[in-house]
Amino acid sequence: MTIEHIDEGHREGPVAIEAHDLGVRYSLRFTRKTRMRTTFTNLLRPRGGETAFWALREVTFRVVQGESLAVIGPNGAGKSTLLQVLAGIIMPSTGVVEVAGHVSSLLTLGAGFDQDLSGLDNIRLAGAFLGLSEQEVERRLPGIVEYADLGPFIDVPLRTYSSGMRARLGFSIATSVEPDILLLDEVLATGDADFRVKSKARVLELVKQARAIVLVTHDMSWVTEYCNRAILLEKGRIVAEGEPSEVIAIHQEHSERRKAEKAAAGVLQLRERPAGRRRRG
Amino acid sequence: MTSASEVPASFRSSAVRPGPVGLIREGFVDILSRRRLIRYLVQADLKKSGADTLLGNIWWVIDPLLQMVVYVVLVTLIFQRKQPDYPIFIFSAILPWKWFTGSVGDGVYSVVLSERLIKQIQFPKIVLPISSAMSGITNFAFGLIPLSVLMIVFYPHRISIWLLTIPLIGFVQLLFTLPVVVAVSSSNVFYRDIGNLMRHVLRLWWYLSPGLYGVALILEVTKELPLVGTLMLLNPFTILFTAYRDAIYSGQSPDWMSLFILAVASLLLLVVAMWYFKRVEPAFAKVL
Repeated sequence: MTIEHIDEGHREGPVAIEAHDLGVRYSLRFTRKTRMRTTFTNLLRPRGGETAFWALREVTFRVVQGESLAVIGPNGAGKSTLLQVLAGIIMPSTGVVEVAGHVSSLLTLGAGFDQDLSGLDNIRLAGAFLGLSEQEVERRLPGIVEYADLGPFIDVPLRTYSSGMRARLGFSIATSVEPDILLLDEVLATGDADFRVKSKARVLELVKQARAIVLVTHDMSWVTEYCNRAILLEKGRIVAEGEPSEVIAIHQEHSERRKAEKAAAGVLQLRERPAGRRRRG
Repeated sequence: MTSASEVPASFRSSAVRPGPVGLIREGFVDILSRRRLIRYLVQADLKKSGADTLLGNIWWVIDPLLQMVVYVVLVTLIFQRKQPDYPIFIFSAILPWKWFTGSVGDGVYSVVLSERLIKQIQFPKIVLPISSAMSGITNFAFGLIPLSVLMIVFYPHRISIWLLTIPLIGFVQLLFTLPVVVAVSSSNVFYRDIGNLMRHVLRLWWYLSPGLYGVALILEVTKELPLVGTLMLLNPFTILFTAYRDAIYSGQSPDWMSLFILAVASLLLLVVAMWYFKRVEPAFAKVL
């Protein structure tokens, strides 16, 4: 597959993220539903078929400081997996990724949440998980509490919170760290309308501060507005890279084509059985 | 901690993983550098188990006593066994066993239950089983309260200086518990029925260990079935129960040699378990 390089250009500055020949393989033999019984039966009677699935394949790109990169693509293209790799949550099966600087991912929304602990205790616990020192957490605590705006609820166990309150606390914790590299995964759809406006402002503030940004979104207005580069992922591979507007154009063209193919396949389905289902990443 | 952050500012992650020695070292460094997180997790655990009920902490005291009553009824009334001062004899085994089963029972789910966290942030997963193994200690410590009451009120003639060795024996037990918890917590990610299996394994383990009965019975088994008897004698809980009983029930010095061997063997097991854990750790985020 050839990559459509629209604008290779010379990009100056220190490298923030360098990914080379990234590949992420999922084993289909172990899933969350695996029991010992299944493994025994598989040993006795091998079923054959695919045992692995590549969520990312031969992904190579570079983000220099000052850049914000948009990652777009259809569902199941591997966008979220890519962010997980950049956050260090998933290790690549092939290739190397080098990240220079503190990464904060707003994948973190809602992380560190223990239903039986109070809001305050949850903030402290989340801080410890993120690796912040005790003083650092205490220093940020008032700001987080104020931004979450939970009133007296900050002292009661989380299980009494509404989902909006929980989202507010999560967002407040996740955005309290000042990262060098910010990873965003479609985070703006939480909370009520008021909070959405407030949170968008906060994200933009982080975007301004961060030295580099990687954003995964389906909202193309974000891409054109805040990103100066884009890559298009399809089936785990980079198919286009360059100017946001041009990559978006390719993306839209491809989705039109897929829609047309699907419609055609729909007609064929009346006669033939559908092909094997694809896994969602 | 002087630095603002306990995590490195930059990282490189690739398909190339360090060798066994590197992995094991990494695991121990993870534990040391994240001991504050472990402390928080233990505290959170305690808050939860105590805060919910007013009687929360009191139950930790009553629970082993009730269990003792059950076994006393079973063994002295139904099986008609004659063992002098049986209540304290069985209590000295119930106490450490409750600690062990509690730690393993919680620990086996420690990784699986943190699924959301594991998929959202990068942190050394080893802190999860380690903190469940650690939270058991307080449970054990609370159990020492009814023990002292029993000793002072009913069995003052059994009080001896050797009671002071309990923390040392407990330390050896902790060393043995750690590798077990580390191993089962990571296996449970790949085989979700390890948790179920463990419940039955633990029950069998209890009956095969000299908890309800004394080591004398195992020695009798050894006469007829040397292999089975020897295996039962090699059981870590044969060593531990005997040591606790020496200190609490018989008022004599525990067998230091066997405790020392168990401690060394546990450390070796911990190294192996750590290697296994670090080897499979990258797969957690994918499988969960």
